Amino acid sequence: MNGGKAIVGRTSTRTAVLNLYLGAAVLRLALFTLFRGLPDLLTGRVEISTPVTSFKRLQEGLFLYNHNVSPYDGGVYHQAPLFLPLFSLLPDFSTLPVFTYLLYIAIDLLSANALLKIADAGEAGSSALFTSLRRDKRWSGLVVAAVFLFNPFTIATCIGRSTSVFTTCAILHAVAKAIAGAPFSAMVALSFAAYLSMYPLLLLPPLVLLSFDRQLPARATKSLAQFATSHVAIVGGVLAALFGMSYLITGSWEFLPSTYGVQLTLSDLAPNVGLWWYFFVEMFDSFRSFFLAVFWMHLSCYVGALTLRIRRQPLVVITLLMGIFNIFKPYPSISDSSLFLAMIPLYRHVFPLMRYTFLVAAIIMYTTFLGPAFYHLWIYAGSGNANFFYAITLVWGLGLSLLVCDLTFAVLRDEWEVERPEMVGKDIRQI
Amino acid sequence: MRRFLSFIFVSLLSSCFIQSTTASADYHEQLVLRPLPLSALLASFNFRSNTTLSAFEAHNFRFFPRSLGQILQHAGTRELHLRFSLGRWDAESWGARPWDGAREGGTGVELWAWLEAETDDEADHKWLTLTNALSGLFCASLNFIDGTRTTRPVMSFQPEGDHPNSTVTNMHLLYGVLPHEVVCTENLTPFLKLLPCKGKAGIASLLDGHKLFDASWQSMAIDVRPVCPADGGECVLEIEQTIDMVLDIERSKRPRGNPIPRPLPGHELHCNSSKPYHAGDTCFPVDSIAHQDWSLSQLFGKTIKGTCPLTDPNTPPVCLQVPDSRAVSISEGAVEKKNGDRVSRCFDIPPEADFELALPRPEAPTSPPAQGESEDGIQLLIEEEVLVKPETPLLYAERSFTGHGQERGGVQTILRNPSPDTAVEFIYMESLPWFMRIYLHTMAARVEGQASHDNPSLIHEVYYRPAVDRARGTQLEVRMRVPPASTVFLTYDFEKSILRYTEYPPDANRGFDVAAAVITILAPGSGSESSESDGAGAGAGAGAGAGAGAGAGGGQQRRFAAAAYSLRTTSLLCSLPTPDFSMPYNVIIFTSTAIALCFGGMFNILVRRFVAADEGPKVGLGPALTKLGARLRPAFERLVRRKGRRGVDGVGGEKDL
Repeated sequence: MNGGKAIVGRTSTRTAVLNLYLGAAVLRLALFTLFRGLPDLLTGRVEISTPVTSFKRLQEGLFLYNHNVSPYDGGVYHQAPLFLPLFSLLPDFSTLPVFTYLLYIAIDLLSANALLKIADAGEAGSSALFTSLRRDKRWSGLVVAAVFLFNPFTIATCIGRSTSVFTTCAILHAVAKAIAGAPFSAMVALSFAAYLSMYPLLLLPPLVLLSFDRQLPARATKSLAQFATSHVAIVGGVLAALFGMSYLITGSWEFLPSTYGVQLTLSDLAPNVGLWWYFFVEMFDSFRSFFLAVFWMHLSCYVGALTLRIRRQPLVVITLLMGIFNIFKPYPSISDSSLFLAMIPLYRHVFPLMRYTFLVAAIIMYTTFLGPAFYHLWIYAGSGNANFFYAITLVWGLGLSLLVCDLTFAVLRDEWEVERPEMVGKDIRQI
Repeated sequence: MRRFLSFIFVSLLSSCFIQSTTASADYHEQLVLRPLPLSALLASFNFRSNTTLSAFEAHNFRFFPRSLGQILQHAGTRELHLRFSLGRWDAESWGARPWDGAREGGTGVELWAWLEAETDDEADHKWLTLTNALSGLFCASLNFIDGTRTTRPVMSFQPEGDHPNSTVTNMHLLYGVLPHEVVCTENLTPFLKLLPCKGKAGIASLLDGHKLFDASWQSMAIDVRPVCPADGGECVLEIEQTIDMVLDIERSKRPRGNPIPRPLPGHELHCNSSKPYHAGDTCFPVDSIAHQDWSLSQLFGKTIKGTCPLTDPNTPPVCLQVPDSRAVSISEGAVEKKNGDRVSRCFDIPPEADFELALPRPEAPTSPPAQGESEDGIQLLIEEEVLVKPETPLLYAERSFTGHGQERGGVQTILRNPSPDTAVEFIYMESLPWFMRIYLHTMAARVEGQASHDNPSLIHEVYYRPAVDRARGTQLEVRMRVPPASTVFLTYDFEKSILRYTEYPPDANRGFDVAAAVITILAPGSGSESSESDGAGAGAGAGAGAGAGAGAGGGQQRRFAAAAYSLRTTSLLCSLPTPDFSMPYNVIIFTSTAIALCFGGMFNILVRRFVAADEGPKVGLGPALTKLGARLRPAFERLVRRKGRRGVDGVGGEKDL
């Protein structure tokens, strides 16, 4: 009990944080260097590397880029053009891989740092428009950052060098800056995330609300409409600038269909943990475009609904949307799960209201172990077929959607209990 | 090999000269038979006819087949090469390939042509016309050569004909390959129909689908090219039809009524008498010269039916390449002419009579081995009396897949240079289907036995055009060098993509055929001219040539001197991961259910409001049942009441009975 109290400190001391970062960095560096085959093994896993985040494809794109062949005039490289000059600046990967390792470790630590700031700001428990009754029950930023840094999914993503860690980092910084009252930086960070992976653009409405709620009083804009317009314009401007730079780098606009078009049309059907690939492998040709539209509309319909319904807690909306994207985006990986799972500890105060924690934990463990096994049965052993892996992705999706629904329920009940404090701990129902 | 070729060349050339003087013989044909080790026989059929370009333009066809000529005119084709091949050339035992590999294709169908067009789009359009028309003409699936199977090679192919400089700038080379195509009798029939004598007379009368497609290796080739005489005479359009086949003598001789192979009786075995255990009851068979007794009718099932009356009388129709010391019996009326090089002879055939040729069983040397002579020496001696020793090819190549599983793999090509003192420079070309996503950064070449993983002196230049999903395949051309007497491993990795279920063929688990790699060995000296042009990028692997790959229509054709030798590897069978083909509906239903569960759950939570458990209207099974019961009770009671009345009536009725 006392030990628990000690961990649940309000603020994180500097030394503890540094020790945490050091520990995480040493662990990753050790995994990188001591197990020579591990990075390439994890890079090859479909659960970690998707066609739009794979490090091997990045290397191929980089190779073509360095030899003056457009990487977008081919079916292998589907990642953002700005990665090319960034990784070209690093020393050659085949001779000095340690710089790449250090870059990925640094990105993870930056993400953790942003998460630590989000947690320490206490936004999850008490936002501008809402204060939870249970807000005192929370974990410090140190714990939240530690949960992120030592989550096996995060570590696997880092060792597998998936480029989705850059998106994760940009999203977390966007949220942290919005909470810190720096809406401009938040918008710039979100633009970077959207530029790298496209889907974070859907986080814009709740992020604008979050920035609006957390403006510094000194230079606050009173009108939400005005604030929203100007900040959407900022995102548009930054994105335009990024696209312009990409155009200058690659010399043509063909990167647009090759990066974002692939996500929109799912032309590469490589297996992953999501629900799209097998659906569109088996889809009849005449209905392909229809269902692509339906899937994308389904993915984006949550944005408006959640933003309106949970208006008082924009951070909750962002968290829930991350969960939804993690299940329903075209090329999900466990990197997206690690981002979603990293945000969950912020809601320590609603944990008692969640109903299916054990079930969800069991499903996630079950799929984590059985997924690779079934994939092996299908691809290598030949004793199973594609349905084995598909079934596991289905269970994985269902488990995560249970978690998302459960978190939504808990948050809404927490909101409701503010209106009716006498109902705390009583049985309730929904009508 | 070169002897064989030079011999053919000389004989053809001599006939060319004669023809230019007489101007009457625009067609000639020749069959060259060459026994190979291990009971094999190479039969090379060559048919050649010319038409002047002016006659061709005027639709005046004499020997040139009209059906093909009209297609070529319609599609603006300047030069055409079409190959139908089957089987594998066993270079280790059979040596160099006939025609230096110039008349050979990879397994399946291969087509490349130079089309005259202003733009790339126009060339594509003409290519489509050409493949569809040829598809109809040759009963082959050439119409499946679409954008994903068409490439524009930059270094590998050079025009064989003489093209005026004005048309060269507008000529587009397109190359398509169908490795899965099964070459069969229906391709041979249209092939024979293009001949002036249609397979009814002359050497073509030997060609029969049963024998041709039973061969260990066969390649049918059609080459159309303009040829301008060096002395400035009128240019002619030349069509050359070639069929090369390697017959397994033992299998061909097996009578049709008794097709089961049986061991030879002891007295028919050729024994290696130099073995110490050689005795009357033990025998070490000399494989390489076994079954070297055959006749045309045994092998082909028929004899040659005279000569084609249209053929050039100065070209001997049948030639045989065996040492002069071997006796050959021919049918009456035919004349044997020795060529003077001690290993070949030709036969003139009477025009109307059937021609039969038979080689008797070679005599095993009776003289005991001399003292100190090695076993191999004896073997060689025996062989030299029976066979012309095959020439060593310039390069041995074999290609295979590495890795396991259906997710990713690698391709490894082993290139061996047998020459002790000359390096071989060549262009290695792969045209891969789009669903093999190759990783060029993993490409490496290393010399066997050397530790260094990536040897920059081996790969001089790379031209790479990456695949685009469902639109075009990968094109990879590597100009590289193999040092003398060494073996080079060229490897790269690839990833197998999963396709839409409608894109799999009906036999999806058989795998997908990957076309043969084409290796074009450059004539010595031609490499130096090109190595200057690629300059700085050469050492790094993908050189300046790779830059050209970015262009929308492919790069410009690079000019090299004519190829010295070309060869093809075998095709590969790549197995892709397959989905379950039986359950598209199930997958659609399951996935939709999962999505509906999430959406419904969220929707429920978001739109409904919370109340305490005892507040609001009652729902659930208990209240519903109560409500249902309350509604049913009056009806039930009514029913019971009515029943009661009727029961009373019934009792009354019973009484009546």
